[in-house]
Amino acid sequence: MKLLVVDDSNIIRSRIARATLQANLTNLEIVGLARNGDEAVDICLRRKPDLVTMDLTMPGMNGIECIDALLRVAPDLRILVVSALSDKATAIEALKRGAHGYLHKPFTDARLAEALVELMDGLEERHVRYDRR
Amino acid sequence: MSDMTDVELKIFIEAVTHYFAQLTREPAAIRAAYLANGEIPHFDFTGLITVSGRYRGCVYFSTTGDALRALLAEFSEPDRREANLLDAVGEIANTIAGNARKHFGKELEISVPVTIHGVPDQIRSAVRARPFAILLTWAAHEAVVIVDLAVADA
Repeated sequence: MKLLVVDDSNIIRSRIARATLQANLTNLEIVGLARNGDEAVDICLRRKPDLVTMDLTMPGMNGIECIDALLRVAPDLRILVVSALSDKATAIEALKRGAHGYLHKPFTDARLAEALVELMDGLEERHVRYDRR
Repeated sequence: MSDMTDVELKIFIEAVTHYFAQLTREPAAIRAAYLANGEIPHFDFTGLITVSGRYRGCVYFSTTGDALRALLAEFSEPDRREANLLDAVGEIANTIAGNARKHFGKELEISVPVTIHGVPDQIRSAVRARPFAILLTWAAHEAVVIVDLAVADA
């Protein structure tokens, strides 16, 4: 499975990439690190990720707008929002727009790995469902 | 002067202590929380968040370069050049302000962080007289959170 990391913070992009590698998540390959929504859409079209971690507070296109943009070009993407915004309304809005999970910052590496595994499990279940058709 | 209540000030204290407790092996110790008169405390690196919507004002986190290098070491981040120190201080400010929305809700609209190295006029112009200052120590390093929030006029 291919993962795209979207966050305007360089240290968060690096942390997510490092934590993902250290968690030894089999079958998960990072195919892009995007600093903003435009880069995310571009990488999504070229590298066709299965999973995305998505920051919400970014300059230019914000994370909610970026979820819309990504799902327009790749409707089957599974998106984990990784954001400091801790109000319920924002989490609900992100989920309504098509995100599959919401992880609050600050997050531990272990919690990130758990959230990614949940996201990957969802994708595998969907593949199994499609295979059985 | 900030319109904040003691309960609201506690939200920001909890946000900053939670940040260090969650991400590092050493908790942050709050040394003082007070209404700042006169000089607004700051250190070499500052992440400034502008607040709009139902509230107006700003939140900033300020600390030393040594503190940020130590924090990046905790994250196993090998690149500790200035760009990443600024990135880190901005991310901390963003996390503290974002976490405060658990209490204030979506109406606390927060900007992306502006990051500053040095003694900036930008801070002086952003903060009104008498904001709340939360002084803390983490791993023998000093830092401050400044919170200047007021309910916007209707």
